[in-house]
Amino acid sequence: MVSVVEMPEKTSQITASGPEVRRGLIEIKQLDFAYGDHQVLHDVTLSIAPRAVTAFIGPSGCGKTTLLRCLNRMNDLIDGARITRGSVEIEGIDINAPGVDVVDLRRRVGMVFQKSNPFPKSIYDNVAYGLRIAGITKRTLIDEAVERSLRSAALWDEVKDRLHVSGYGISGGQQQRLCIARALAVEPEIILMDEPCSALDPIATAKVEELIRQLKQQYTIVIVTHNMQQAGRCSDHTAFFYLGRLIEFDGTAKIFSNPRQRQTEEYITGRFG
Amino acid sequence: MNDEARMTNVEGMTNDETASNAGSPSSFVIRHSSFGRGRFLEALTFWIFRLATYLILAAATYIFLDIGIKGGRTVFTRTAPFINVAFLSQAPQTLYVFDFAGKKMTLGDREFRDWKSVHPGVEVEATSVAYSAGGIWPCIVGTALLVIGSMALALGIGISSAIYLSEYSRNGPLIRLVRIAILNLAGVPSIVFGLFGFGLFVIFFGWNVSLIAGWFTLGLMVLPAIITASEESLRAVPQGLREGSLALGASKWQTIRKNVLPYALPGILTSSILGIARVAGETAPIMFTAAYAMKDEMPWQVARFTDFFFQGVMALPYHIYVVSSKIPQNEYTERVQYGSAFVFLFLVMLIALTSIVLRERSRSRLSW
Amino acid sequence: MERVAASRILIPARRKSRRAQMAIEQGIKAFFGGNALVAVIVLALITIFLFREGFGFFGQNLANLQLYRQAGLEYVDIIRAVTTQHEALSRKLSEIRLREVRSLEKRNAAPDEINAALAPFDQFASGFSDTAENLHGLVSDLTEQASALKEQLAAGNNSGSETALRALRERGATFESVSAEMTASVSNLMATAPALPDTAEQKSFDQWKIAVRDYLAGFPVASKKLREWSADEPIPWYRSLSSFLFGREWVTASFWQDWYGIVPLLVGSVMVSIVALVIAVPLGVASAIYVSEVASRHEKRLIKPYIEFISAIPSVVLGFFGIAVVGQAIRAASQSSLFKWVSFFPISERLNIFTAGCLLALMAVPTIFTLAEDALRNVPRGFKEASYALGANRLQTIARVIVPASLSGIVSAVLLGLGRVIGETMVVLLCAGNRIAIPDFSQGLGAVFQPVHTMTGIIAQEMGEVVRGSTHYRALFMVGLVLFTITLGINWLAQRFVARFRMSVG
Ligand SMILES: Nc1ncnc2c1ncn2[C@@H]1O[C@H](COP(=O)(O)OP(=O)(O)O)[C@@H](O)[C@H]1O
Ligand SMILES: [Mg+2]
Repeated sequence: MVSVVEMPEKTSQITASGPEVRRGLIEIKQLDFAYGDHQVLHDVTLSIAPRAVTAFIGPSGCGKTTLLRCLNRMNDLIDGARITRGSVEIEGIDINAPGVDVVDLRRRVGMVFQKSNPFPKSIYDNVAYGLRIAGITKRTLIDEAVERSLRSAALWDEVKDRLHVSGYGISGGQQQRLCIARALAVEPEIILMDEPCSALDPIATAKVEELIRQLKQQYTIVIVTHNMQQAGRCSDHTAFFYLGRLIEFDGTAKIFSNPRQRQTEEYITGRFG
Repeated sequence: MNDEARMTNVEGMTNDETASNAGSPSSFVIRHSSFGRGRFLEALTFWIFRLATYLILAAATYIFLDIGIKGGRTVFTRTAPFINVAFLSQAPQTLYVFDFAGKKMTLGDREFRDWKSVHPGVEVEATSVAYSAGGIWPCIVGTALLVIGSMALALGIGISSAIYLSEYSRNGPLIRLVRIAILNLAGVPSIVFGLFGFGLFVIFFGWNVSLIAGWFTLGLMVLPAIITASEESLRAVPQGLREGSLALGASKWQTIRKNVLPYALPGILTSSILGIARVAGETAPIMFTAAYAMKDEMPWQVARFTDFFFQGVMALPYHIYVVSSKIPQNEYTERVQYGSAFVFLFLVMLIALTSIVLRERSRSRLSW
Repeated sequence: MERVAASRILIPARRKSRRAQMAIEQGIKAFFGGNALVAVIVLALITIFLFREGFGFFGQNLANLQLYRQAGLEYVDIIRAVTTQHEALSRKLSEIRLREVRSLEKRNAAPDEINAALAPFDQFASGFSDTAENLHGLVSDLTEQASALKEQLAAGNNSGSETALRALRERGATFESVSAEMTASVSNLMATAPALPDTAEQKSFDQWKIAVRDYLAGFPVASKKLREWSADEPIPWYRSLSSFLFGREWVTASFWQDWYGIVPLLVGSVMVSIVALVIAVPLGVASAIYVSEVASRHEKRLIKPYIEFISAIPSVVLGFFGIAVVGQAIRAASQSSLFKWVSFFPISERLNIFTAGCLLALMAVPTIFTLAEDALRNVPRGFKEASYALGANRLQTIARVIVPASLSGIVSAVLLGLGRVIGETMVVLLCAGNRIAIPDFSQGLGAVFQPVHTMTGIIAQEMGEVVRGSTHYRALFMVGLVLFTITLGINWLAQRFVARFRMSVG
């Protein structure tokens, strides 16, 4: 069904043993994080498996978004936000180390935001944006990549006749998938999704979920979600956070059927949160 | 208590209505008449408000018409090309008025000299009226030069500063202080900037009354407004666009150039054009930094290249000030007074109109 | 199904070397940062320069005041004050005469008759005038002596100043005898004061006599002051500041003594601004309410840009319009029979506070309108709907809900309008009449029709002619500083109100 063509690793940074094993592996070690004086994450240690979907769940304000944004250093943009202890390693490299090029990191760790944020450009230009930024100018290459990404995001058939209308001219679900396509176009290894379906209707949600299931063959996916069913449906591993701490992390089936912690169970069964 | 009272009232009403059959005036009509008094008050108040609004419009329209009609007599002509080319293309001259052979003659400087050479030996007693003949070409040129230079300065520094403040700076107490200071400086009267420009550029730096002193004075005057407005436009671009771009592996500058500036540009442009209108319209700051009341050479008639920057120029607003305050008002001066006012008003309003139209356009086009 | 993703070879790792890329980014940041720094430094420089030039004023003005004392000008001015009083009393007499003539005319008296009836009064008046002859002689002598001494001292030559000063005081001491003589002659004259035909005028004449008695009683006081005066008494340091802030005279380039008192200018600026706001606030706020709450969409689309458009009218054009049209129109109106009942009409000066105020109102209206309309429009819909749902009509909703909710926004609009008006130069320079004097408030509202000079106007008018570094130059910078402080304060206040508005509306 899905033919995956694996090409040998071209990037030179990853020299750790067994690149194929580690590719897309994220290790979070004893992470403390604070906005100014307000500590939000406490001692989070977590290893995210490559080529799988990992879901972060937990009540509002427990730090899921914050943790997610640590993974591509999006928090650098927020004044006063900083990691106070611990590290995040991707493929064995500490991404907060001084020599790391954050721009390169972000290209390799794509992100889809909670509120879909297409650029006020045409659909085509939205998808092509990342490629152009990376210095690709050849029209045929870009055309190809745009089509490929839109197909991957299951959007091609819906928009192929109007690639040059504004990214705002399509429905909310389509906008979110456009953002996913945009992220796919630059060929990241990891995709972070922050509640990608929170503003979508059930049908659009189903489409995005289907997409996530397909994408995991190729990418490491981390998804933040509020929706228990969604976590159950599309993730392989689930991490439950509460008040900035990782309470439980396990296979999704295990978490949903037989959680070890009482808090996890209460949350999953809807007794709080 | 209140509720209870209303309840009884309602009940009373229903009783009334059941008691009185159709035909007799229902209590509803009675309430309607009491309503009517409120209606009347409301209508009256709104009419007063409407009157106030239209009074403002009428006052402004009167000014436009007065200057338009009286100035139009100077600027336009009845015969082709319908525009008084001489007025727009000549330098101001002194007007000579005298009686000759039972005819009243009004001649400009040069014409008067020509006339004298044609009529040698004729002694006439001419009254001279300063600036009232010729045109205003050097003033238009001077104003254009002042505007171009000062806006180039203000836009270059202003937009760059705004980009730094909005995109690069961390929001510490120092930056906040800078921002407040800039915001407040935007309200400082132009004459204070003129005073500063005079003290620093004209005297302290020894630039004398010069184009460059005027550029700096005017440029610094609009700088705070341009920084504030540009920063506002930049901040109006949603954060999501920046994050979206950065998350795709764009560098900061790429993000700013491709995904922030294009969307902030209409706002920046609007405020810049308003800045142009302001710079062009100001008189006080150039009165003693850049403007001469009268100058015979055009700005490009300089001996050395550097002299260009260190020469004073004539400027339209200053010319209007001079001709309306320094010479008495009479039938001979009205021509140049209204003519200059008309041209100046027309130019400034054209700029302002551009900015208003542009803003209305971009407002309807860009929204997220 | 489709290929999900193919190769990762499309984008090479990084094309330029990472270091070069970083350097470029850093360079760009440094460029913008540098520009911001330049802007901040230059704007800070303005402020510092303003203060530097302004603060030099205090030392120089103190020296100026010191010289005033050391050269004996102060001494002479004690006597001069007496002559000024005498002149004022004489002027009062002529005013009484003028009114008397008018009332006689009303009774259809012929000119000859009037002159005949007033002959004794005229004789009395000229007699009174003459009593000060010796005093005038004394003052002009002293003026000459003191001026010479001042010139000498100002040139840095102290030799012989002691003797000159002594000579001045000796001549000044004759004030005692001169004043005694005057007292005698005035008293004699008063005994022969004629009666006036008109009872009302007789009353003001009687009042005048009382004033004369007070005037005479002031002679010994003046004598005492003269005796106690000393040229060596130092001037306290704060006098330099207080004579600026509270000084009621702004006299420059005078042969006698320069005074730099900001009060007349400040009063002028404030009066003009008050008039402008009294006109502009009701108009601006009313039109803002009209446009945001009452007007139809078409009206809105027309009115809003038009009023904003007004704000772009250059002030010098408005000033010219004031000279050419408004001033004339106001004077003509004041002469019309329609306003006969107004006591201070017809006005004599076409350029006055009111003329400037009217034009400034037109400048303030767009500011007030735009910001107030903004505040009104930003009142949340919910507030309005809640009010309508309770059965309030539109007027009630506006008065009880919308305006209160946006009040601080409106206040800040008015404040910013004030800031614009008080800092405006060209209109007041052209239309306020440029007379450096505190308006005569005894006329009540009539004070509004007197010419004044303003802070902005004085800078514009005098800056071009001053000598760099002179006291006058620095005094103008001080005026600029006061203006700077006032507008900064107004701006700051306005921002606080806006912040409160944002908070209350959420
Ligand atoms: N930019 C920020 N500045 C300060 N505090 C923040 C910021 N963003 C989030 N927080 C705080 O951090 C905590 C975690 O937020 P977040 O990670 O967004 O939670 P979640 O995504 O799980 O709902 C919250 O208490 C929130 O108030
Ligand atoms: Mg979140």
